[in-house]
Amino acid sequence: MKSMLSAPVLCALAGMLLAAPAMAQDKEIIVYNAQHESLAKEWAAGFTRDTGIKVTLRNGSDSEFSNQIVAEGKASPADVFLTENSPAMTQVEQAGLFAQVDPDTLALVEDQYRPSSGQWIGIAARSTVFAYNKTKLTEDQLPKSLLDLADPQWKGRWGASPSGPDFQAIVSALLQLKGEEVTAGWLKAMKANFKAYRGNNTVLKAVNTGEIDGGIIYHYYWFGDRARTAENSNEVELHYFRNGDPGAFVSISGGGVLASSRHPQEAQAFLKWIVGKAGQQVLRDGTSYEYTVGKGEASNAGLVPLEDLQAPKIDPHTLNSRKVTDLMTDAGLL
Amino acid sequence: MSFLELSGLRKSYGPVGARVAAVDGVDLAVASGGRTAIVGPSGCGKTTLLRLIAGFERPDAGSIELDGTRLAGPDAFVPAYRRPIGLVAQDGALFPHLSIAANIGFGIARDAPDRQARIAELVRLVGLDEAFLQRRPHQLSGGQQQRVALARALARKPRLMLLDEPFSALDTGLRASMRKAVAGVLEAAGVTTILVTHDQAEALSFADQVAVMRAGSLIQAGTPRDLYLRPRNRMVAEFLGEAIILPARIEDGRAHCLLGVVPVDSTVRHEAAEILLRPEQIGLEAGAAAPAGGVDVVVTDSEFSGPTCTLSVRVANGAGEAGALVLRRAAAGAPEVGTSARLTVSGSAHLLD
Amino acid sequence: MQASADSTLIAASASSRQSAAPLRLSWIGLAAVLVTLLALIPLGFILWVTVQTGWETAAALIFRPRVGELLVNTLLLEVLAVPACAALSVALAWLTERSDLPGARLWAWLCVAPLAVPAFIHSYAWVTIVPGLNGLGAGVLVSVLAYFPFLYLPVSAALRRLDPALEDAAAALGHGPWSVFFRVVLPQLRLALCGGALLVGLHLLAEYGLFVFVRFDTFTTAIVDQFQSTFNGPAANMLAGVLIACCFALLALEMLARGDERYARVGSGAARRLVPASLGRATWPCLLLFALVTLLSLGVPFYTIARWLWAGGLQVWRLDEISAALGHTTVLALGGALLATLAAIPMAWLSIRAPGRLQRVLEGCNYMVGALPGVVVALALVTLTVRYLLPLYQTLATILVAYMLMFLPRAIISLRASIAQAPVELEQAAMNLGRKPLDALWSTTIRLSAPGAAAGMALVALGILNELTATQMLAPNGTRTLALAFWAYSGEIDYAAAAPYALIMVAASLPLTWLLYVQSKKMAGQ
Repeated sequence: MKSMLSAPVLCALAGMLLAAPAMAQDKEIIVYNAQHESLAKEWAAGFTRDTGIKVTLRNGSDSEFSNQIVAEGKASPADVFLTENSPAMTQVEQAGLFAQVDPDTLALVEDQYRPSSGQWIGIAARSTVFAYNKTKLTEDQLPKSLLDLADPQWKGRWGASPSGPDFQAIVSALLQLKGEEVTAGWLKAMKANFKAYRGNNTVLKAVNTGEIDGGIIYHYYWFGDRARTAENSNEVELHYFRNGDPGAFVSISGGGVLASSRHPQEAQAFLKWIVGKAGQQVLRDGTSYEYTVGKGEASNAGLVPLEDLQAPKIDPHTLNSRKVTDLMTDAGLL
Repeated sequence: MSFLELSGLRKSYGPVGARVAAVDGVDLAVASGGRTAIVGPSGCGKTTLLRLIAGFERPDAGSIELDGTRLAGPDAFVPAYRRPIGLVAQDGALFPHLSIAANIGFGIARDAPDRQARIAELVRLVGLDEAFLQRRPHQLSGGQQQRVALARALARKPRLMLLDEPFSALDTGLRASMRKAVAGVLEAAGVTTILVTHDQAEALSFADQVAVMRAGSLIQAGTPRDLYLRPRNRMVAEFLGEAIILPARIEDGRAHCLLGVVPVDSTVRHEAAEILLRPEQIGLEAGAAAPAGGVDVVVTDSEFSGPTCTLSVRVANGAGEAGALVLRRAAAGAPEVGTSARLTVSGSAHLLD
Repeated sequence: MQASADSTLIAASASSRQSAAPLRLSWIGLAAVLVTLLALIPLGFILWVTVQTGWETAAALIFRPRVGELLVNTLLLEVLAVPACAALSVALAWLTERSDLPGARLWAWLCVAPLAVPAFIHSYAWVTIVPGLNGLGAGVLVSVLAYFPFLYLPVSAALRRLDPALEDAAAALGHGPWSVFFRVVLPQLRLALCGGALLVGLHLLAEYGLFVFVRFDTFTTAIVDQFQSTFNGPAANMLAGVLIACCFALLALEMLARGDERYARVGSGAARRLVPASLGRATWPCLLLFALVTLLSLGVPFYTIARWLWAGGLQVWRLDEISAALGHTTVLALGGALLATLAAIPMAWLSIRAPGRLQRVLEGCNYMVGALPGVVVALALVTLTVRYLLPLYQTLATILVAYMLMFLPRAIISLRASIAQAPVELEQAAMNLGRKPLDALWSTTIRLSAPGAAAGMALVALGILNELTATQMLAPNGTRTLALAFWAYSGEIDYAAAAPYALIMVAASLPLTWLLYVQSKKMAGQ
């Protein structure tokens, strides 16, 4: 026992305790990353390679981090916040915790993919789809609108990942387009009709095996799986709702620099790198299959062009994440 | 025909090739209503023998018959729970999760109409108050636990009672009184009893038949008195009490030995043999009171231990054959070291095989 | 996790001895009180948050259909899985301990070995083999396979200690083998069954990963969902409150079921050697049962891991990532184990050397805290540090404290058992030879209890190795343990990339599980 607890060991333990805060050193930024870990890792590696600035990722999900940043306030250890969807961005912006994004960074991105405030910026985009099992549904049996899935005929036949930020963003679009009453009613019907999964990949997998006829997910899960082994998607096709339907919602992934950042220059540089040529090329050529948002940066050629999706016009600024989780909690989905 | 008859019982343990015989050909007959004690040092196989009788083990060979019914044999085996045999184990083996009443009633059918009355009767029979019935085993003293165990075993009205060292865990003072009490209860109930013990005094005082066991075999069986005074061999003699064993030359029913000429209880003629004397047969008187006859001795050492003292004496007879004896005497009036005394033998010596 | 009931698993009985020096008691007592107060923080915090939330909001968040659903799920899970574990464990334990089953020692070890496979890896394996597996039935199946050893261990130890004279006595009183089993053997297993069942029940309440794979919602999964949607929002805290209530309900239920029975041997004298029951023609069906249990609880996970490793080939062995994860896990496991063991010293010493009211109160507190799921402890510490103790927020110190709180009972129990075996006379002799009290304590009792401390550290390390929820919520930035890496990959359905992590976790757990097995044998006097 004595040997175990002797001075060197105690010193080592004390060292470990002290080393923790020191993990964040100079020339190193901490990123709260709600984006896919694989994508963020590629971005971080590319940025470090180009600039020599180290990036430490903390992985989580959109509203977990937005709430966390709000709770942390000015003491937040994060320098940069990346999301999959914009509502979480809006929440942090409303709390006044973002720094203004550098003007030349803003200039790199199409206007419709960033808020007018300039507090954060779109870094990628993704489209809502209804992924369906082609052996179970023919094209004429497909729902015309996201709202149709509330119909009792869909009971037990569709799935989603309600605890994930993607689906919550889709609900926020519904809320924005149709109002609270319709949304609450739709969520209640959804609770009765749908099957809950954790993660869009799991939904896709369930559609593929025929556990459910279809599911509400984003497009790139299907493309990603097709590009790998198609193990979880070879029976699955995508249906785009179009017509400005809430189900045709295109969600913007956002990035922002925190006002409390201790390395604002490096943080701004990282954001600029992501929306610049190098970062957007990762989207185009990599395995993420998300849409690019940079001016003049083409998306992967295999995707249905964004312009053809007839997405509803929604100012990302107006999407409210807290209201959505409240409504979903009320409906018993969370 | 005896009540319980064991013939040729054998039981071995251990892996094939290295089997050890725990019971190695035992024959024993027990009379109805009798009390038999099986006594032997630990590891002699007496507990295994008991377990064979109880039915916990199946004999490798031999048979067990109880009142004409074959319990175990080459073609029959009655399991323990179907044998009309009661058992009181070393420490009582009361069920710790049950009350005393439930322990005693364990062998009585749950729907027996007189169940409660019988439990009450049994607890009184073994000399306990009915107030004990609601208690738990751990709230009782060791002696009380043994009484409960006896009551529990009697509840099924067994034809044969097996007692497996039931008194060995008790204090010395309690042991004798418990022994008497148990013997009384069993006598009153008229149950044939077998006691297994390593304590020879217990065996001798409890039983009307004692069987000495060693290394899996019965060496000798008989009445307590017979075994004590006329043991077959040195082992039995020494096991049953303090023994003075002397080499002797037998002539005309007399033994010529260190202590002079002593009558023997056998007319069989041996040239050279060993004789047994019990210490209580030997008298030792010093000084003027010394009677005629016997041999002169000198006390060479004396070790005081309260009521008794252990004397070492040296015999010096005319022939110059010197020999030493160790005797235990009452401490009061024992001769001092260095004094002379006269040693006499009363009764006759027993000739060992 | 929830090591409180590990006490029954190891069933250390503390022999009380007189305190050596009242002076020393006060210092150690103070330390024990401090540790206990620290341990009570999460519990107190959740209560405080509930009060702060206000009754109306709290009621709205607690009395809603979703909570009802979760309660029904939880209740069904406990009611089905715990008795199933108990029945299976009793059958397996009786066969390995009391029958002439061929290869009983090997089977006994194989009945403990599933503990080396973290529950979420069991689940991962089953979902791989039966992709559609989900819901209550799946939850029960995988829970039973992952957790039955927690009941098997104490039940087999109790069976080994059981005095066979009692069974003989019952047989001599005219009871057949089945009657003897149900009226004499089973009642005596009550303590072991209660303790083991409590342990399984608490694990089921705390488990996260297992149920995510088979899509079965419990309070813990719902709390994590809320956390991922709202960070430390009131809904998460209210769910945590209900989960705490469930844990306490289990503790109370176990206390009721256990009663104040005494099951020790009555009387003295050595217990007789066991005569194993002969299975005869039942031997083959029994062997089949063991083969089946082994196949389902060990074969399935090992086959799955092997299958994914084969499918993934060399490229899933991203050595830089794996070695980093291994490093992080090692630091956390060692640090947590060391801290928990240090914190356990005062409590363990007190319960052996100076038992009394203070010690009972402290022990009761630690017992309750040890029953709290990691997700509750983590939620409390996140909220507490982010609001009031920012310098400690997201630090290694905080996560180590969380581990300490979660696994303190494991450390206390192991330490207590070995302190009980270090005679107080040695401490007195050391003082007699001129050592000051604390020095004497250090140089005698504490050094002698090193083996127990090491065993406790191993158990704590095992817990940390497999910990997922608290680690996820509390880890310092950039931390990635084996469990977190496994979880990240399996969350993206990249089961092949997750496989190396699964393999390493199982491989690291196996020796610790072996230690547990050996220790349980030793406790039973073999």
